[in-house]
Amino acid sequence: MSLIYNWMYYIASGGLILIGMYIILVKTNLIKIIIGLNFIDTGVNILLVCIGYVKGRTAPIFSTSRINPTNVVDPVPQALVLTAIVIGVAVLALALSIAIKVYEHNKTLNVTKIRGLKW
Amino acid sequence: MRTRKIISIIILLILAGGFILTFSQIPFGKDKINVAHYYISKGIEETGAVNIVTSVVLNYRGFDTLGEVTVLFIAAIGLGAVLFTEKRVQKHASKSKDDKTKKASLILRTGSNLLFPLILLFGAYIFVHGHLTPGGGFQGGAVIASGFLLMYLAFPKQSINKKSLSVVESLSGLIFVGIGLFGLIFSGYFLSNFLPKGIPNTLFSAGIIPIIYIAVGFKVGFELTSVIDDLLGRGK
Amino acid sequence: MVNPSLLIGLPLAFAFSIPLFGLISKKIEKYIPIIALFINMVISFMLIPQILKKPIVVSIGGWSPPFCINLVVGPLGILLATLISGIGFLVSIYAVSYIKEEPTEKYHILFLLLMVGAIGIVLTGDIFNLFVFFEILCISSYALVAYYKDKEGTEAAMKYLIQGSVGSSFILIGVALLYGFFGTLNMADIASRITSANPTYLFITLAFLITGFGIEAAIFPLNAWLPDAHSSAPSSISAILSGIAIKTGVYGVARMVYTIFNANSILLFIAFLGLLTLLIGEMCAFRQDDIKRLLAYSSIGQIGLIIFALGIATSLGVFASLFQIVSHALAKALLFLAAGYMIYRVGSKSIASLNGLGKKMPLTSFAFTIGSFSLIGLPPFAGFVSKLSIVYAAMQVKKPVFLAFIAIALIATIIEAGYFFKIVQNLYFKEGKNLDKITESSGYILIPIAILAILIIVIGVHPQFITGLLKASARELLERAGYIGWVLGGT
Repeated sequence: MSLIYNWMYYIASGGLILIGMYIILVKTNLIKIIIGLNFIDTGVNILLVCIGYVKGRTAPIFSTSRINPTNVVDPVPQALVLTAIVIGVAVLALALSIAIKVYEHNKTLNVTKIRGLKW
Repeated sequence: MRTRKIISIIILLILAGGFILTFSQIPFGKDKINVAHYYISKGIEETGAVNIVTSVVLNYRGFDTLGEVTVLFIAAIGLGAVLFTEKRVQKHASKSKDDKTKKASLILRTGSNLLFPLILLFGAYIFVHGHLTPGGGFQGGAVIASGFLLMYLAFPKQSINKKSLSVVESLSGLIFVGIGLFGLIFSGYFLSNFLPKGIPNTLFSAGIIPIIYIAVGFKVGFELTSVIDDLLGRGK
Repeated sequence: MVNPSLLIGLPLAFAFSIPLFGLISKKIEKYIPIIALFINMVISFMLIPQILKKPIVVSIGGWSPPFCINLVVGPLGILLATLISGIGFLVSIYAVSYIKEEPTEKYHILFLLLMVGAIGIVLTGDIFNLFVFFEILCISSYALVAYYKDKEGTEAAMKYLIQGSVGSSFILIGVALLYGFFGTLNMADIASRITSANPTYLFITLAFLITGFGIEAAIFPLNAWLPDAHSSAPSSISAILSGIAIKTGVYGVARMVYTIFNANSILLFIAFLGLLTLLIGEMCAFRQDDIKRLLAYSSIGQIGLIIFALGIATSLGVFASLFQIVSHALAKALLFLAAGYMIYRVGSKSIASLNGLGKKMPLTSFAFTIGSFSLIGLPPFAGFVSKLSIVYAAMQVKKPVFLAFIAIALIATIIEAGYFFKIVQNLYFKEGKNLDKITESSGYILIPIAILAILIIVIGVHPQFITGLLKASARELLERAGYIGWVLGGT
């Protein structure tokens, strides 16, 4: 049981990254590739959050007096994830806009059919 | 195609091996806090914010957040540049679109009229209370942008004034950098918390944190709105 | 004392304010990057003498490192920051009359933010901050590659975006693994504790980080995006991407390998990779008939040479590598700017269409010739000194492997000379068609081209102007105890 408990989140994050990599390497639809990029982002974010997690502790917000400094998780990975999420959103938005333009020029989203430059 | 699949599976296996070898070295759920001990024990006293994540995001690692705001700004500007179309073409296209787009249903229109101010209020609450409760500028901004998205769905013909959007974006960005430069003037460090910290756990506390978060909230909300606007194909 | 955080803060403020200036008048916006980067250049020149005496470590927010983000402005940082703001300044002058396609306002914002990203990368002392600035650089260059919105440009940008963001995800994984083990993000702090981790863990983390930075630096086999992106971007952006953006990738690799991980065992492998990149880049360049693609492939080759020299890892080797970074940045920026305007006048990217331009555009063609001779490594240009010191450094190692390596590198140089001589010959001695209406470039185009050409000759004749700074930078990379000492205090 403890084995599953210890590895569950790592498997989730590693699995998401691997699924994303697989999509990027194998799939030919541009939108699917962009979704794959998002999978990788999510996987890395989960990895960051589980690095900061400490068993049985709570969020580092001292809004009530019941929470004391020995009882909170690491705040830094949460701050990093906040940044990473915003960066992921930015890349996603830009990727979709470029995909729109690629579609306008080629009338297809299949990367093997876009022959202008070698893929 | 087949060889491509085989090669990619080999790459994935190597990656998976790397993950197993490294993740096993990081024990899950154990206390490995190192530098962050300082933030947890000194955070309230030094920054005045009870939300330690906020104090890390905006004070200890405020430079990252400035970069993060810049990244979002780049995305909004880049989206505008990539999807830019000349005005003349745009008018023609929108005319033909008008015939196709139907009015949204009555329920959607009434409901979004009712909800829109509440969503804005909720977003504002989230970014104003960023130093006290979970939340902050980015979250609040996203909520505000979702309110605007609702309005776009309910009233597809109307569009927002892009010029005022870009003015708010640049002004709030300038406020963030300006606070950083003021910090440099007043206490010698870029982005230092030079305002009085106040009593922790009250609304008017934590020095520059609420000011920056309000600017970030406006910036993110309006940037995401302009991203939505661009992606809907309205252009300038 | 000028605070180095201004180097990042001021251009950022200018970039945010461009839309506001755009409200006042449409004509102001294109001069803002020039002003911002000129101020930056002046500040960095003023900082150089101080930093040669004692490196400056500034904290952002007022806490002592490792508790907050800090800028570590050592010799290497200020060298690259000066190079970046100098070339950025020249290219922004070029862009004033080169960029005509709407929306110009957005072009100038993105360009300035790209420079902010590059300067941030070389100055920051925090690994996550490095990642954030890296993203600023990458995302703005994705948007700029697609700026013309034509078929090639959007496709190249898409390709660049997919590979680049996989690369940045890899960097983020590496950062997460470092934080998971050491619990800190300060590069000096990590470097001082690096021996406490087990070697396999470190090797995998380093592999993630090098793959990530290697994609931006276009090290073989991660270079698939570069020829397309560099050839279909606007020429001013190609100059920046080739001259500066890929160098930040090299900086990332060097910082990881030397300062943080102290990974001496993989240096030979890195030298080998560099050599492979050099050969493949030059051989592909030889076969191109599109001038911008040729220059892009030649950039891959030159990056290979830089990486090879980094892998030599003696103080002379690193010095030669940094010298090559400077001379290649100047020469490649010059070549892209000159070629960009020739293409603009002729209306075609093929090499054959440039025939006979030497008589119609004498100054531009002459500058192009200087740039290509410097890249080949002919005296008295800057490229000669840098290539000579790379050869000398490799000979000094006295390992048979390196002698074989340097022989291969010389063969690559001969290939390079082959295609550049062919272009220069065509420029001057072939009769062109339909050249009647073509005239010399205008002032805003010629000023940056001329300044770059003069810089190449001056550095070639008097390399001692920059050798002091370069030697100090090489020392910064090789003596990691010194770097840790600057940041954390003591030794």
